[in-house]
Amino acid sequence: MLRFLNVVAILALIGSGFYAYSIKYQTMLRAEQINKMKREAKSERDAIAVLRAEWAFMTRPERVQELADKYLDLKPLAVTQIASAQSLPEKPERIDSIGRKLDALGLGGAATTPAASEAPTTPKGKTR
Amino acid sequence: MTTAGAERAKKSRHGLDGLLSTSLGKTGTRMRIVAAGFFCLYLGIGARLVVIGFKPDPTTMRRASGETIAASRPDVLDRNGEILATDVKTMSVFAEPRRLIDKDEATELLTAVLPNLDARDLREKLASKKGFVWVKREVTPKQRDEVFHLGLPGVGLVPENKRVYPNGPAAAHVLGYVNIDNAGIAGIEKYIDGQGLADLHDAGFSLTPEELKPIALSVDIKATHAVRDELEKGIVHFKAKAGAAAIVDVNTGEVIALASLPDYDPNKPPDMHDLTYINRMNVGVYEMGSTFKALTIAMALDSGKVNLASRLDARGTLSFGRFRIHDYHAQNRALTVPEVFTYSSNIGTARMALGQGVERHKAFLRKMGQLTRMRTELPESAEPIVPKNWGELNTMTIAFGHGLAVAPLQAMMAVSALMNGGYLMTPTFLKRSEEEARKTAVQVVKPETSEMMRYLMRLNAEIGTAKKVNVNGYYVGGKTGTAEKVIGGHYSKTRLFTTFMAVAPSDKPKYLILTIMDEPQGLPETGGYATAAYNSGHVTAQIIERVGPLLGLPPRFELPTQPFPLLAKLGFGLANIPAHGGGGH
Repeated sequence: MLRFLNVVAILALIGSGFYAYSIKYQTMLRAEQINKMKREAKSERDAIAVLRAEWAFMTRPERVQELADKYLDLKPLAVTQIASAQSLPEKPERIDSIGRKLDALGLGGAATTPAASEAPTTPKGKTR
Repeated sequence: MTTAGAERAKKSRHGLDGLLSTSLGKTGTRMRIVAAGFFCLYLGIGARLVVIGFKPDPTTMRRASGETIAASRPDVLDRNGEILATDVKTMSVFAEPRRLIDKDEATELLTAVLPNLDARDLREKLASKKGFVWVKREVTPKQRDEVFHLGLPGVGLVPENKRVYPNGPAAAHVLGYVNIDNAGIAGIEKYIDGQGLADLHDAGFSLTPEELKPIALSVDIKATHAVRDELEKGIVHFKAKAGAAAIVDVNTGEVIALASLPDYDPNKPPDMHDLTYINRMNVGVYEMGSTFKALTIAMALDSGKVNLASRLDARGTLSFGRFRIHDYHAQNRALTVPEVFTYSSNIGTARMALGQGVERHKAFLRKMGQLTRMRTELPESAEPIVPKNWGELNTMTIAFGHGLAVAPLQAMMAVSALMNGGYLMTPTFLKRSEEEARKTAVQVVKPETSEMMRYLMRLNAEIGTAKKVNVNGYYVGGKTGTAEKVIGGHYSKTRLFTTFMAVAPSDKPKYLILTIMDEPQGLPETGGYATAAYNSGHVTAQIIERVGPLLGLPPRFELPTQPFPLLAKLGFGLANIPAHGGGGH
């Protein structure tokens, strides 16, 4: 009986030893992974900082002005080209122009509608 | 049978005893020897630990370098979040001379890879007993790889922060610059260090960029560029020696744009002691000329002794001892206060200041912050040049802007107060709201006085000396100022310092624009005149026209019907009727 207990104890010892080591190695692996991720994140952040600086450098007003002068046919904005929302004309009343035309043609009645084949109501579109 | 059984039982118990007993009782001496052995073993391990503990750790070298490498700084943004200054990572090469095996070989290999290194200098550095020396700061990626592939023990690479200013010279005077260790040397950069960043770094806290909050300035980089561009054109056109221009939000005291030419690229900072590159808005002090008349007239109006209908004798010249004061646009008659302003009458303003007396004049200018050094966030500032013995003559000349030299931004602070309803607020380069600005503001003149001054500025742009700046749609008001420079103790008639102060719009003031030019020349199209209206005024008008849409200033084509309601109540309803023709040039 006691011999059995001893054997169990030894086995438990070996087992726990293995477990402890495996935990330790796993932890090391994870820690390494974390470090690697951190390094990657840092280099990404550094890259972002460089890109942001580059973006700011490329879009600096001085350069944009130079390029605009060279390649664009634009003029500086004049005061007269600015309009306020109030100065826009009132929205005109909605006119149902098609309905009016139909009324004017007296085609309102369903019975008098000519057959589609007889008179095409829309002119043929111009070829583009 | 019984005895045999007992015997066996005894034997078996004995056997069990043998298995379980450790015989400790019998082996005392052996036990002590083993204990002593283990004691020695552990003592040895303990001693070794202490030795290792005292030995310098190779990684501490790395940490020592961490203190010297360029620290990270917060980003600096403009008021719309555009980047004005940011950090990028670069690699620097360092060496630990104590760990170097062959110093000559290291010198040879390093100079081969980094050709612009001085070999003798490097050898001296490597031969030193120091734990850490820089070989080269900020190497290119190619050089970095080459150094890495040399594989020299005791030579390493460390990432450092390098400050970059993507906008180059735009807003350079506001931003300042940093040295190679990323410590602020001038401008806002130095201010940031003064706010505790330097202390943190010294205490060994190496802050990562994520921990640093970006700093939002009041400056608008697009407007700043536009101002700088127009100013540059103006300086070239009028062959001026130097110039500066700034836009201040009169309601918050924020500096929206500032340009001072000649300027520099903060990525390649100039020699600090070269006075050519000073910030002329903040560090230079100048006699502001007639723009100072606004202060004198405001003083007189605010005292109540003079109102808009008062008349001042502006006939002939005003004599004081052997000095005579002339008018540039002499009318030789009694002028009303608005006329004094629109004809820019020296005599009229001098009489107004005399009417107040020397002490009150001094007290008013002190209240307006014109006699003491103005301190903003920028570490650079200048003391105004105030006459030592301030007599009546000084009061007379200072009334029209001669004899007292102030920083132009300081004059803008005072004129802003005259425009915004009477609140004096120190200009700031950091973003702030109107409420925050009002908290520290001091009411220096009555709101009525402020409105009268706005009326005068507007009138001056309609019919007076500031007609050049009457940009359509912005209801601009303005004042010219032409000061003669002191050359060899005398005022020179040909070397002028011209200033132009404009407010837009005059009824609900938002921006105050100041342009100054140092020795602009007369041109054929200006009839040879080099006075402020032709050069500084022209540039100011260009700036307003260009910057107005950028800053979201809505243009109006119907003139406001009641721009000055307080004046109407005071019985000057005339002020609300637009003026035409007449006066000035």
